[in-house]
Amino acid sequence: MDTNSIEYIGEHAWAGMLGHVLTALSLVGAAVATLGYFLGAQRKQVQWSALGRMGFRMHSAAVLGIVVVLFTMLFNHWFEYNYVWKHSNLQMPLKYIASCFWEGQEGSFLLWTFWHMVLGNILIWRFRRRASTTAEWEPYVMAVIALVQVFLAFMLLGIYVGDTKLGSSPFLLMREIESNIGLPWTMIPDYLARIPQLADGEGLNPLLQNYWMVIHPPTLFLGFAATLVPFAFAISGLWRGQRTQWIAPALPWTFFGVMVLGTGILMGGAWAYEALSFGGFWAWDPVENASLVPWITLVAAGHLMLVNKRKETSLFAAYLLTLITFILVLYSTFLTRSGVLGDTSVHSFTGDGMLPALVRFLLIFIGISAALMHPDRAQRRFYVLVSLALLVIGVVLEVEVPAILLFGLLTIVHLAQSYRQGFMDSSPEESAWSREFWIFIGSLILLLSAAQITFSTSIPVFNLLLEPFERLFAWIGRQTGSSFFTNLGDIDIAPPAKPKPHYNKFQVPLSMIVAFLVAFTQYLRWRTSDFGQFMRKLAVPLVLSIILAVVLTLALGYSWREFTLVALLFTTCFAAIANIAYVPLVLKGSLKNAGPSIAHTGFALVLLGALVSTSRSDAVSSNARNMDLRYLSEEFSNSEDILLYRGDTVRMGDHYVHYESKRHDGVNLHYEMDYFAVRPRTYHAGDTVRIGGALFRARDDHQAGADFLAQQPDHWEELRSYSKRELWHAREWTPTAPGDSLFTLAPFVQLNKKFGNVAEPSTKHWPGRDLYTHIRYADLAIDPDTLADGSITPDDRWMPDRLHEKQVGDTIVTPTSVVIIDSVYTVSDSATKAMLGEQYTVYAALLRIRDLYNPERWFEARPLVIYAHGQPVAGRAAEVAPLRIKYGLATVDGEKLGINVAEAEFVVMHAIVFPGINILWIGCILLALGTGLAVWQRIKGAKAPPPLPHA
Amino acid sequence: MKRTHIIAIVIIAVAIGMLVGSLYDSSTYADLKEALAEPGEEFHVVGTLDRSQPIVYEPSLNASLTTFTMRDLNGLSCTVHLAKAKPQDLERSERIVLIGSANASGEFEARDMLMKCPSKYNEEHAIEG
Repeated sequence: MDTNSIEYIGEHAWAGMLGHVLTALSLVGAAVATLGYFLGAQRKQVQWSALGRMGFRMHSAAVLGIVVVLFTMLFNHWFEYNYVWKHSNLQMPLKYIASCFWEGQEGSFLLWTFWHMVLGNILIWRFRRRASTTAEWEPYVMAVIALVQVFLAFMLLGIYVGDTKLGSSPFLLMREIESNIGLPWTMIPDYLARIPQLADGEGLNPLLQNYWMVIHPPTLFLGFAATLVPFAFAISGLWRGQRTQWIAPALPWTFFGVMVLGTGILMGGAWAYEALSFGGFWAWDPVENASLVPWITLVAAGHLMLVNKRKETSLFAAYLLTLITFILVLYSTFLTRSGVLGDTSVHSFTGDGMLPALVRFLLIFIGISAALMHPDRAQRRFYVLVSLALLVIGVVLEVEVPAILLFGLLTIVHLAQSYRQGFMDSSPEESAWSREFWIFIGSLILLLSAAQITFSTSIPVFNLLLEPFERLFAWIGRQTGSSFFTNLGDIDIAPPAKPKPHYNKFQVPLSMIVAFLVAFTQYLRWRTSDFGQFMRKLAVPLVLSIILAVVLTLALGYSWREFTLVALLFTTCFAAIANIAYVPLVLKGSLKNAGPSIAHTGFALVLLGALVSTSRSDAVSSNARNMDLRYLSEEFSNSEDILLYRGDTVRMGDHYVHYESKRHDGVNLHYEMDYFAVRPRTYHAGDTVRIGGALFRARDDHQAGADFLAQQPDHWEELRSYSKRELWHAREWTPTAPGDSLFTLAPFVQLNKKFGNVAEPSTKHWPGRDLYTHIRYADLAIDPDTLADGSITPDDRWMPDRLHEKQVGDTIVTPTSVVIIDSVYTVSDSATKAMLGEQYTVYAALLRIRDLYNPERWFEARPLVIYAHGQPVAGRAAEVAPLRIKYGLATVDGEKLGINVAEAEFVVMHAIVFPGINILWIGCILLALGTGLAVWQRIKGAKAPPPLPHA
Repeated sequence: MKRTHIIAIVIIAVAIGMLVGSLYDSSTYADLKEALAEPGEEFHVVGTLDRSQPIVYEPSLNASLTTFTMRDLNGLSCTVHLAKAKPQDLERSERIVLIGSANASGEFEARDMLMKCPSKYNEEHAIEG
């Protein structure tokens, strides 16, 4: 049956129709804008530009319309729409509707295209102000932006071109999505009323229901969008042949991008740290890297633009980095959206067949950028024609990967020629003691850093690129007998097994150099400086930094073996101090010109905070209580987590931690951990303690010192003879005891049937350090739907029973005890009989129990089970409180017994102390504020340039 | 030759060195047969949890050791010691990636594990009507 002929009941089909129409309109508008502006630029005719502007306005209205329609659908819970059903539900608080909006692939593309649209309109407004000095850039810049919008509109259209799926639409009905088409229920006119699953949506993953998910994606995407503006200006500069004039109008946008993208990335870090149990603020996850790399190249591009604004040196690098930044944003979209990362990242999207479209999108912009770099028209044309030929050959003959590789090679050759013919002679040698020279060096170092991160993050891509050549490599391997090629033919490369050490190994030395350059480069003049004068200005900050670095090195206990860390510590201190000192020494205290100095100080503090907090982080939960399991393997000897029984108080780092209770609140189970100060334990005369196998009695009241042996002669007498009972009661000697109650942390577990349970951390903040804790393991055999709010039932004091089927005389070994089944007997006293009646039989088992770690400690337990008509109907377990264990008798069948063993309820917690992490957050704020101030000054200064600061 | 060019050459050399170094650090996806053939060598092994075998986690003995059985994509099974607390959703996982190496006794010692759970990131929702 054709679904078109069915009159569906209850659908709000108009919204989807409107959405589809608006998407098409946004595409048409962007296409008209591209064409109009393109012709306006090529023919220098204002009427074409006017057409372009009209197209862009239409596009803008359509994008706004799409946003409004999608929000309307989400607000009204129209679950007949796939996007609404998948990302929202009825229970969700309204404030998280925004999070649903951009949780999905389609919504985040929409967010991105929305920001481009907003920035495009601001640009048009700036271009068309009266007395605008940049009006003639409008058609060029806007043509580039509109072209990008054409591609993004395709990504929202969700149509097929041949076999290639171009994006996906958020306006599809549930019955229209591919996996549902043709299913019988799509033929039912009133399917919405008949299918219960459609009454409510899947909902937003509760993990994402926090304010970070509301503010982080829009900030990050605004940052990504901002990189388009300098890109568009750079392309326009090449297009118009105005090689440096594009820089002045693009500069404020570049540093605006630096500020917003940087803020977005660090918000991601703060989110991971505050609300996710990743164990830190940065994990070198591919998705994190994909957002960091464009920021690094954008910073480099911005600094090179500063250099070339004044005179044309290293212009090639300025272009390259500006263009590459936007291309890296596209590349990061490709990495995270195409599914290519697959198993390597915890939060990448699944592919949805977007890979080919995204690859082509990326290649087209690489092609456009590279083509325009060449000054010679004929060469540009040659490059474009060969590239198009490769594209056609690749698609038609299905040899796309070799075609892409050839295209890459062609691009490199083309860029090298562009440099030789267009840029080489224009850059005269600069003085080694000039600001521009060291900015150039710094930018190259940043490029190296970006290249290394991109390379390692792209490892899953290499497998894709190598795949078509596997047979060739294998063949070469067989022919030449080279094992290198044989291996290459059969390779499946995985990302580094230890990402943190891997990236740190390269990034620590590079950031050390960058911090050093950040420290002194501002003290150099443009063009050339007097070395003596330069050193005199820098002497005080240098001496201060050396002192601070030495103090910090000693205070934090860095050894000389950690040389790179010490060097980074010094250069970051130097960078921070030199940039603070720059304000009084050079700017004469003028704060309004201090933006760059504040931003540089912030950058140095981010590095310093990251260095101190990660290299001196202390997993205080390590080995706090656990037994060594060295017999298994060296690798497993270190237990990084702490085990806490309910009611237990255990020393952990600088505190005693006490697991008090758990509390249930909505979908969250909070584990309340009370923290106490550590004070020396007081012993009283007559107390007995155990040290190893020996027993001691206190001679007097005294406070325990750190070392028992030192105190023993004065305060303790050894007992030569003692009763078993004395030995049994004697406690282990400990130097400390819990003191005052200090604070409570409640790390929690989110019970989530749909998306899986998730642990979220709880962190205690002090000015100098943080204590970060999260639950690693807890008994979660609880159905969240059956729990009432408030406390948990008392039965939760025990972990689930474990059944052991044994015979009388057998032994059971549990994690804390050895149980010997002594005997089983029938309880047949008259009182019991009279109480229960004749049909019941009561069995009891006598268990002899030994503490697994103390052969002297013996206990007895007598669990009962009541049988009626041959079936167990009730029972009573026996607790052994000192061992935190409970034994139950499940079944009795002659000599065969079923014994239930349950341990007291416990959780496993991970706790890390991060020292100096506030340095990092302060650095983040300064970096954003300083960059913002610099952008502000630059926009104001565009009218009347401020006097240059002189070094 | 200009100073800039010398610098460019040095930077390119350093870049190549770094990239080769990065590649050297990279691991390899392997199946259990290959991993077990080279004890001590680090691999990424993709497979599924063998649900017919018990998952052993005794926090009171070692809170950071989970033992279970994994079946690789070729169907080969192997005991795995994971040096982590038992992940909350291990039973629900549909695909796991172990990072670690085999030991001499033919068991796999995983330092870390990535897990794909149904519906967490995978967006397939078929409705039976």
